This record gives sequence, C-alpha cells and structure tokens, in this order.
Amino acid sequence: MIFRLCALVASLAAMAPIPALAQAERTAAETQIKAAFLYKFSAFVEWPPKAFARPDSPFTIGVIGADELAADLEQIVKGRTVLERAVVVRRMRRGEPLAGIQMLFIGQAEAARLAEILAIAKGQSVLTVTESEDALSRGSMINFVFVDDKVRFDVALPEAERGLLKISARLLAVARKVVTSS
Amino acid sequence: MTAFAANAQTGKPADLADLSLEELANLEVTSVSRRAERLSDAPASIFVITGDDIRRSGATSIPEALRLAPNLEVARVDSRQYAISARGFNNTIANKLLVLIDGRTVYTPLFSGVFWDAQDTLLEDVDRIEVISGPGATLWGANAVNGVINVITRRAAETQGTLLVAGAGNLERAAAARQGGKLGVDGAFRVYGKVSDRDHTSRANGTSAQDSWDSGQAGFRADWGTAAGAFTLQGDAYRGTIDQAAPGDIRISGGNVLARWARQLSGGDRVQVQAYFDNTEREIPGTFGERLNIFDVEFQHALRVGSQHSVIWGGGYRRADDHVSNTAAVAFLPADRNLRWGNLFAQDEVALRGDELRLTLGAKAQSNPYTGTEFLPSARIAWKPDASRLVWSALSRAVRAPARLDRELFVPGQPPFFLAGGPDFRSEISKVLELGYRAQPSRRAWYSVTLFHSVDDRLRSLEPGPAGSLVIGNEMEGKSTGIEAWGSLQAAERWRLSAGLLALHQDLHLKPGSGDTTGVAAAGNDPKHQWNLRSSLDLPGRQEFDVMLRHVAPLPSPGVPGYTAVDARYAWHFERGLEVAVIAQNLFDRSHPEFGAAPTRSEIERGLFLKLRWSL
Repeated sequence: MIFRLCALVASLAAMAPIPALAQAERTAAETQIKAAFLYKFSAFVEWPPKAFARPDSPFTIGVIGADELAADLEQIVKGRTVLERAVVVRRMRRGEPLAGIQMLFIGQAEAARLAEILAIAKGQSVLTVTESEDALSRGSMINFVFVDDKVRFDVALPEAERGLLKISARLLAVARKVVTSS
Repeated sequence: MTAFAANAQTGKPADLADLSLEELANLEVTSVSRRAERLSDAPASIFVITGDDIRRSGATSIPEALRLAPNLEVARVDSRQYAISARGFNNTIANKLLVLIDGRTVYTPLFSGVFWDAQDTLLEDVDRIEVISGPGATLWGANAVNGVINVITRRAAETQGTLLVAGAGNLERAAAARQGGKLGVDGAFRVYGKVSDRDHTSRANGTSAQDSWDSGQAGFRADWGTAAGAFTLQGDAYRGTIDQAAPGDIRISGGNVLARWARQLSGGDRVQVQAYFDNTEREIPGTFGERLNIFDVEFQHALRVGSQHSVIWGGGYRRADDHVSNTAAVAFLPADRNLRWGNLFAQDEVALRGDELRLTLGAKAQSNPYTGTEFLPSARIAWKPDASRLVWSALSRAVRAPARLDRELFVPGQPPFFLAGGPDFRSEISKVLELGYRAQPSRRAWYSVTLFHSVDDRLRSLEPGPAGSLVIGNEMEGKSTGIEAWGSLQAAERWRLSAGLLALHQDLHLKPGSGDTTGVAAAGNDPKHQWNLRSSLDLPGRQEFDVMLRHVAPLPSPGVPGYTAVDARYAWHFERGLEVAVIAQNLFDRSHPEFGAAPTRSEIERGLFLKLRWSL
C-alpha cells in the first residue's frame, strides 16, 4: 500500500512543473485589491455637480473601520487625480459628518453598525462601498464579495440613483450581481 | 499579460491601480490577508481556524482540525475517541466545553461532554471554527465553563457547483461529494454525502485495539433571502459501525434538522429565532445503549439603545427525551428521563469613550432539571488605544450544571452498587479572571496573549457511601493559572509562520471533609505546557507546502510521555479546480500514545494520505 502510494506521489511530482510554467502568478492582498477597486470606481461613476463644494474641491474618499485599506489607498492615490481633481483619503470615525465626501468605504470592523452609518449617507451623493454580507439590503451601493478567492462586487442601482449617481455600464458589466429594484 | 503578472506579484497597491476592472476582478487573494478577524475587537481569548487553515492542515475530521487551535488540548485516544478540553480538566468525558455546529449544541446531557465520533460535516464547507477559551456562558450556555467551540459552515450561496473529494492512506480512506445550486430568485442550496473507513489502532505491543470503523453521512443546507429577512434550513443524517472485540460492534446513528430565521429591523436592530430537532442513537453492546431526542428553540434580539448601548437579549428552551438501555455492567437510573432547560440572558455593550473604551456587562439565568436556576454573570472591558492594539479583561462566573452521569449513573447495573450517582450532586462553579492583549505591531505580524486565573469549587469527587461503595460528590476544589499565546508572521510575500503556546498550572485538592481516595487525577490529565509552530509556504506553480510542529508535555496520571510530532502537506493545484495533496501525520514518529493508561491504550501511528479535491 505505502509503496503504491509513494509511486503515485512520485509520478505526481514529476507532472507538477508543467502547470507551474503555464500558470501566471495572479495574487495580491485583499485590502490592496479592494483599494485599487475603490480608486477605479471613481472613473466609472458620474457625480452631480453639487457633490463638490467648489470647482477645485478635491475628490475625497472617506474610510471607516479599515485602516489597512486606507493605507493602501493612500499609496494608490499618491500623485493621481480623479475627474481632474486632487484625491484625498480621509480616515473617518463613525458619526463624523459626510460633507465634502464623494465616496465612503465602510470596513468589516464596522459591520455591526453598518445600518447606522449608511443611514447618514442615505440620499446624499456619496458612493457607499462596503464589504459585509448582505450590506446592499441595508442601503449600501456597492458591496465587495468573495467568489473563488477573488474579490468581486455587487451593485444596488436604486440606492445609487437615490444619491443622483450614475454608474456606467462598464462597471455594471464587471459586477457579479446588479440589483435593479429595491 | 506578463506585465500584469509581474505587477501583481510585487504586491504594490499603486501598481494594481493600473489594472482594468476586469483584471482586478480576476486577481486571486492571498490567503493570509483574508483574516479580517486577525485583530478582532472581541474581549475574549478567541482563536479562529479558517476554512483555508483546515484545508492546508490536511485534517480529515473536526477533532483533527481542532489541533490547529493553540488554546485547545487535543489528545487522540484511539481510532474514534478524543479527549478535548481548554484550560485543563481534559478527559474522554471532559465536560466543561460547549461545542456547537451551526448553532446546534452537540454535547450530550448524558455526561455534558461530546461523542466526537458522531460530530462531522463536510470539512470543505466549513467557513471557520471559532475557539473561545474561557467562560462564554453569558451568551452561549451553561456548559461554556472552559470554552466554546463554534463550527460554522458557509452559506449555501458560497458553496455552489460540484465538489468531489477522495482520499486514501495507510490509516483511512474517505470520499465525499457536494452539489450546490440556486433556489428561486434569492435562495441557494447544497447537498452533500461522505463516507469514510478507518483502520483499527494498535497498542504498544502491536496487538490490535479492534476499533476500526466505517461511517457515512449526508446533509443539506438551504438559505433564502438577505439580511433584511433571511431563512436557513439545514440537516444531517449519519450512521457508523465501530468494531468492538466482544460482544459485538458498536453502532451509532442520528439525524438533525435546524431552521433559523433572522430579520433586520429599522435602525440596525436584529431579531433571530432558531429551532432544531436532534436525534442520536448509540448501541455499545455490553455497556449501554442510548436513544436521545432533543428539541431546542432560542430567540435573540439585538438593538441599540441611545448612542452608547448595544444590547442583546434573548432566551431559550431545550428539551431532551433520553432513553438508556442498561446492561449488567452499568446503568443510568431511571432509564428513561425527560430533561428540560430554560434560559434568559441579556448583555449590554457600553461605549464609554467611543470605540476606545467599551464595557460589556452580561448575565444569564439558566434553569436545569437538577439544581434549579443558576446565575451566570460576566463583566468585560476592552480598551483600544489605537487600531492596532487591544487590552481587555474579564471577570466571569461559569457553571457546569449536573449531567445524568453525576446523578443517575450506577455501576454495576444491579444492586449492590459499587458506584452510585450523587443525589445531592450540585453544579460545579468556576470564577475566572482573564487579562488579554492583542496587537498588530506591523502589517506583517500580529499576536495575542491571554493570562487566566480560575477558582473552581464543588468539582466532582468520589465520596465513600454505604458498605464500601462510592457516591459522586462535590468535594474537590482548586485553582488554575495559565497563559495562552499565539501569533502569526508574514515572513515573506508567500511565507507565513504561526506559533502557539499554552501553559497551565493547576492546584487541585480535596476538601477537608472529603473521603475521596482516588485523588484529583480523575478531574483531568493535562500537560503543563504545549506549543506548536506552523509554516505555510506558497511555491511557484500554485504549489503549497505546509509543516506543523507540535509538542505536548507529559501527562501526569496516568502517565503519558511527552511527544513532538511533525505533520506536513504538499499540494499541487492544477487547471479546472483540481487539487492534489500528499499529507503526512507524525512524519518522523512510527507511533506514540496521546492519552490513556499503558499497556491497553492505543498508539497513534504515522499516517500518509493522498487527497484529491476537484471543484467543477
């Protein structure tokens, strides 16, 4: 029995290098992927003019309950612009007003208080992004999910429309699921 | 494509921003970073075994997977039995742990411990196992004196498609299949089946312990809706046959069905109702037989009161109809017993200074059939000076309510009895002080340290009865002090190191009035310390190499030598979801005992296992 097992192991080991060459390494840390998504989302969403206080106001991404992701996002936006505006990452605490924020990411650490935070953003032109199970039903617009060890996202269109945000078809095409009616 | 691969490999977030949406959506996440809970805010000694940890350990059963938790003592007794405990008192009838599988309590009212041979699920569908050492009684239940083991499977929506698993080795063979699919607009289901066949273990002199067993289990889970209104229905059925030298094979079987309904109310409030029915049957020819039906229902309501209070309150009712077939060797009297338990609990988490300082006060009142209502209070405080550090402390009173064994066990099965259950046996009481610190000094490292001290009273003892017999009493007391520590270091992009340590000092003694002559050894057999080291390495070509080194110090009585074991796993991932893994347990050790008295105890042999896992 053991001998047969060893023989099988040996033949498997011999096979291993073939897929090794064919397979590109495609992995990265979860927070980095999510941070990159947040930055990319800005290019596929249209904000109403009133979302910005002044023509030269920066594009501001608020982050609550996700310090590691905020650090990754700060690295990403360094030297980049969104809608020809400077980009600012603001680490926020629960309860802080959302004035001047165009995008708000609420991390898993605040999952228990998600409804509370989303209630403040409701109806405002703030793109809300979450990473908690069933967050869309609590009023989030975009929610990250895991599918086969990959980061994907679901989109709730009615919630975005309520905030007068237009989400491009290209973004929707990549979404795992698009909720069209509440 | 080449540039994309190179960029992603460097892992710099700035490079990722240059990828397209589609490319981002196709990036695989490194497993280490999925540990969102690595610095959880819970003011308790909690270790989480992730589904990925289980996969990379090569474990083929829940007890083997539990070896990954540094805050658990896991000793394999033979092919099917384990002694598992936290913070001491380990025994094959260890009785101070609460074990749940998807919210279903699986310890038996017979002895308040777990028949580990009857607890199984498709390990591939396990999302995580939360292991909480220390009292968890306020929220969980009366048996959570030394810890809670919470096995949580994935939602059906996360286990779609077909999964085939097959494995064979020198000690066991197993095969399993799972199929998931959609149910209407917002529902999903899965069904699974598994069979396994394990060889007998051997004693030190090479003779067979005649304990080979084969088992089969099937089950399903269906989830509907969203958090606004979610409904879960799940169930399992199993059977197993275990070889026994004489007078015949042991047979076990059972089934359960559970329904859970949760609804999100306005303002973040949440209600949940859960009910289940659980049948277990066990026939051990020559010893005893049991048919147990349990019905359990519980209710929970979480709400926010003002801006500072997060309140959870709820209640539960549990009913067991237990029928024991007594034998000449042992009897539970009365043979048929209806048992009822009820509980009410409330917990308030007060934000004293935002998220920085939180005080959690909780209490549970639990009634049991033997001692009436027991009161289980706890107070916890958590100070989080910044996002990467947490200091916590807790003071709890936990209760191990009597089991049938304490009150109704009689040996032999007919009078005159040599050993009799104690009609006045009371609950064992434990008062526990804990102090914990968790920190993440860098993005690559985190650790957790917990110090605990418990004062235990009214522990089980054997007191002299009439005519030289023994009666179960409460005349032992003692103190336990210990440390639990673990941490993880991402040593390189693809190399993670983890370590865990448990050290325990117990001072148990019989009370002055006790006439117990068997001593404190019956309370448990624990190592003074144990530690483990784990290395998880991702190699090019989607290969994985995992090694775990674990050491357990000698057990005092009955004496079991200390041992150090090495487990290893090498896995290849091929196209189309095929994974092939070679798993070795006790790699450098032909065999060693982990529990029990020589010379009749079983030795745990070196195991080699080849496993194929194919997700279609």
